[in-house]
Amino acid sequence: MDGYAGKMVYADLSAGTVTIKTTPPELKKQYIGGRGFGIRLLTDMVDPKVDPLGEKNVLVYAAGPLTGTGIPLGSRYEVSTISPLSGTAMSANSGGVFGWKMKKAGFDAVVVSGKAKKPVYLFLDNGKAELKDAAHLWGKTTGQTTDAIVDELNDMSVRVSCIGPAGEKLVLFACIINEKARAAGRGGVGAVMGSKSLKAIAARGDLPIKAADEEKLNIVKDRVRKKIEDNGIEKALHNYGTAVLVNIINENYVLPTRNFQSAHFPNAENVSGETIAKTILKKPKGCYACIVQCGRIHEFDGETGEGPEYEPDWAFGPDCGIDDLKAVVRANNICNEYGLDAISAPATIACLMEMAEKGYVKHPIRFGDAKGMLKLVEQIAKREDIGNELAEGSFRFATKYGHPELSMSSKKQELPAYDPRGIQGYGLATATSVRGGDHVYGYMISPEVLGAPEKLDPYVTKGKPQWVKTFQDLTAAIDASGMCLFTSFALGPEDYADLLSATTGMKIDSAELLKVGERIWNLQKLYNIKRGFGRKDDTLPARLLNEPLREGAPTGQVWRRDEMLDEYYTLRGWDKEGTPTSEKRKELGLT
Amino acid sequence: MKVHVKAFATFREVMDNQVEMEFTGGATVHILLTDLTRRYSGLGELMFATPDTLRDFVNILKNGRNIHFLFGLNTVLEDGDVIALFPPIAGG
Repeated sequence: MDGYAGKMVYADLSAGTVTIKTTPPELKKQYIGGRGFGIRLLTDMVDPKVDPLGEKNVLVYAAGPLTGTGIPLGSRYEVSTISPLSGTAMSANSGGVFGWKMKKAGFDAVVVSGKAKKPVYLFLDNGKAELKDAAHLWGKTTGQTTDAIVDELNDMSVRVSCIGPAGEKLVLFACIINEKARAAGRGGVGAVMGSKSLKAIAARGDLPIKAADEEKLNIVKDRVRKKIEDNGIEKALHNYGTAVLVNIINENYVLPTRNFQSAHFPNAENVSGETIAKTILKKPKGCYACIVQCGRIHEFDGETGEGPEYEPDWAFGPDCGIDDLKAVVRANNICNEYGLDAISAPATIACLMEMAEKGYVKHPIRFGDAKGMLKLVEQIAKREDIGNELAEGSFRFATKYGHPELSMSSKKQELPAYDPRGIQGYGLATATSVRGGDHVYGYMISPEVLGAPEKLDPYVTKGKPQWVKTFQDLTAAIDASGMCLFTSFALGPEDYADLLSATTGMKIDSAELLKVGERIWNLQKLYNIKRGFGRKDDTLPARLLNEPLREGAPTGQVWRRDEMLDEYYTLRGWDKEGTPTSEKRKELGLT
Repeated sequence: MKVHVKAFATFREVMDNQVEMEFTGGATVHILLTDLTRRYSGLGELMFATPDTLRDFVNILKNGRNIHFLFGLNTVLEDGDVIALFPPIAGG
């Protein structure tokens, strides 16, 4: 008993077979689980030259050893694949209940390869796995699919992770949705699932998940629970959800507005977490074993649903110049139903809005047009009219019309809700992210804006490369463990190391934890290099390097890449091109 | 001189969302916050660890700049300043 379910499923959709294997001990030791398992298995199995939407790409679902062990906020699973949007080795993280159910069904990971001749879904059932016909589910939304599978299996305990029509239509930023509203959101993992004609994975089971040392684990559990409960930060997440960030980011003058043309939205209050709590919030909602409950259940005008989280709230709101909260929430709900990444979809619409306003594309949409925005979301999901072009993401769209500089993306993946010009370390973290534009692969907003674990001056570059490296490595390890990243506001590396040691029986201290994270990071990096990525790609849109902010305290700031990148590479043990040296590869066992 | 104060998140549960305050020259952020804690019961406990120290992760902005990178609680107020008060918050 070591926190692992002990088995992995290999589903070859071309052959129509499923094979169950034992989870390898060396994989556990070197990569822990979750993102570590996913990236290792992906990079072992897939030639870097393959087309992400071709039959030879694979899709890996993996939970961590802390997923489903009853540890507070231990609920996560990861979906890893080659991203059709960014082209990087991608791993997208989701919460809810599915990760726990996958392990209760008996599996640490599911590895999907090939392409089914007709739509199928994979049913994980108490140690067994089978492919089932899904032709009748093709075309259905994520909610309809989930209900239909639960109905036909006639068991309310079944949990479903699936794609919607956007994944079927290979929208490059289609996501995977579990329990109707939790998303493995980024990088187009849903498009890869669609390319394989895999509609869903369903899980049922009641197999035990036991720790190596239950007594010790209970002691550590109590300690981390107290730290989370005593931390004031987590209380605000419960009361106001992640959208509580809208006001503080806006007041810092780093809230990207109208496709990053400015960084302050005068009407931000209208879409803030405080306004959501006051107007449409029905109740908070949490994932499995969550004591924070940052999720929102909303209700208005006879509609109910989940969210919005901060990122889609910002992206459909200020980034599109929209302050109509109900329109923002409806757009987010469409993303959940159709299975669209609710960052890339609105950010691509914001790109279109700027291009249309400047006359580069002939289209009636303008910033602030909520009705037009809602129509575009559906068009993207269905690949209808201009939605077919937008479904390729903002970079490909803007490039097609001769203005790639108006895509606010890095490595072709749309940037999240923070302006790097006023947050230097965050800029470095997202520019060097091994999955493309991103905020959760090293959340530098925490020290640079929120002041945790300590306050770092966001305008200063000195010292930031070391912080970025540490945050990136720690996050990779947390993503491998199965814990929610939000625990990192309250917990330190020693807490995760103690949880992992008690659960797995392996001796893991803080240094070893960070080493595993560094190994995962470098493995993703090395694979990306084989796919053609290099120093030229570790950057941000020219606007952020050349056009100074013009409002508030950060007036005059641009993102200063050249002050940080070389130092960052040196700290990582990489050469000037950003390639891990042979010494570094040897140190990490990646030779 | 006049200063505009904005409160956010859980601070709104104990004080008005927005407050206009008037001071004579030389007033500091500390003086402003002390005035507010006298005016609003419960605010001091949420904001201060000791009478001279903010609680961990409380962030006070003056015109968009965290006072931690100015002169902390001794940051001098100026006419027209916007002071934003944030309790510990997070997201992502």
